[in-house]
Amino acid sequence: MLPSRRFALGAVLFVAALAPGTTAAQTTTPAAAPERTTDISGYMDFHFNKPELADGRLDFHRFVLLVTHKFSDRIRFVSELELEHAFVEGLEEAGELELEQAYLDFMVSRRFNIRAGMILMPIGILNERHEPPIYYGVERTFVDTFIIPTTWFEVGAGVHGELGRGWRYRAFVASPLNAREFSAEEGIRGGRQQGSDTNIGRPAVTGRLEYVAIRGLTAGASFWTGRSGFEFRPRFDVPVTVGEADARYSRDRLELRAQFAQVGIGNAALLNDALGRAVGVNPNIARTLRGFYSEAGYRVLSGAKAGDVGIFARYENFDTQFRMPEGYLPLKEFDRDAFVLGATYWPDPDIALKMDYSAVRNKSAVVKALDSFNIGLGWWF
Amino acid sequence: MIRNLTRAGSLFTIVGVLAISSGASTPASGQQPAQIVDVTVERFSFTPSEIRMKAGTPVEIRLRSEDTDHGFRIAGTEINITIPKRGRGTATVRFQPDKPGRYEFECSKLCGAGHAFMRGTIVAE
Ligand SMILES: [Cu+2]
Repeated sequence: MLPSRRFALGAVLFVAALAPGTTAAQTTTPAAAPERTTDISGYMDFHFNKPELADGRLDFHRFVLLVTHKFSDRIRFVSELELEHAFVEGLEEAGELELEQAYLDFMVSRRFNIRAGMILMPIGILNERHEPPIYYGVERTFVDTFIIPTTWFEVGAGVHGELGRGWRYRAFVASPLNAREFSAEEGIRGGRQQGSDTNIGRPAVTGRLEYVAIRGLTAGASFWTGRSGFEFRPRFDVPVTVGEADARYSRDRLELRAQFAQVGIGNAALLNDALGRAVGVNPNIARTLRGFYSEAGYRVLSGAKAGDVGIFARYENFDTQFRMPEGYLPLKEFDRDAFVLGATYWPDPDIALKMDYSAVRNKSAVVKALDSFNIGLGWWF
Repeated sequence: MIRNLTRAGSLFTIVGVLAISSGASTPASGQQPAQIVDVTVERFSFTPSEIRMKAGTPVEIRLRSEDTDHGFRIAGTEINITIPKRGRGTATVRFQPDKPGRYEFECSKLCGAGHAFMRGTIVAE
């Protein structure tokens, strides 16, 4: 058997079998990792959610497999296939089978590399870095749900690389969002085309600049801009822009995060008008959406035999009706903020048992925001 | 294997390859003292991602992960090691290129959605 054709699964099982003897013990024998060309990994995540005033729900939220192949040092293939909510049926709303990533990377130089295929939009902390053991909280942040629609992926192509002194960049063109699916509550989230036979009459442009030179710190800023009115006849423009800035700092037991994101929807009045005529209800889409959060986490137990324990607190503010087009009033129940408090237990660095309480408030005098209690178990292999 | 070793030997002098230890590592007697570089590894970066060294003088790179296990592979060499998970010690590699040049390194263990971004350079002057 040629070593280059060796399939990863066997090797993975082999390593797993060896692991108990080698992890904690001191090893002096050279244990060079075998060169592999095809690799399988993945992560899973299942949740118990108990919203206020409702029954608890148990959901196998994510089952994700990553498969990569290295054609050569210069050309790689990466894919990430995700099954959400465990079950998919034709036209079924419950589950989704998503191809989140499937691209070829052409490594030209450290500064300049080309990527094409299904790619993740390089926006925010979580969209590209979303393995369950590396973030606090059972669910992803509200800002990364209602303002930045994670997981946000589209077909596209572009360039990425490292500029030196800790600066990295990525810039892609990709399919735009479809404004027909925007909403007052979830903003632009419904507009993701997710690479499914997408309209790309006028591709969107997105990019991120990141600074990683200081140990423990990752700071970044991202943007996305695209024209989203392509489904309307007569045609009119719905230019959408997303701007975002974030920072993440970790040192020993401490981890701090902060993120700010704002979405602008141009011609929102025209959009509400057109959608209102088509559906019969005014969708009340805003012209600006805004959200930010900050979070502090601390490992109260670290390096113990039984594993690590961390606690965290997060404040989030997210408003999908932040500024309205002229003639429209904001729906105050979508001006929300939340305190999330919780803990994570890592029996292994790649397994996270999480628990949190999420207290959500809104500015409405009529509609009450619902708190929730959540438990999650996530792992990476 | 023999061919590989010969090829590696003609390009580099690899003084020592790997030691995973929880405590401090003491260099074996008779080894040339090395420049020591501590590298923090996490999804999806090496810090620092650029290591400067003198050609002909060994560098000892100590890699410690903040999360899962990663890999450390220097392209064009035989160096390809596993960096243990958080809290499970440091992977140490000694590298001594004979000639000045740029040596690209990367994570060689699939570690998540942004695995392909985990790269860096050793500049031997
Ligand atoms: Cu890695």
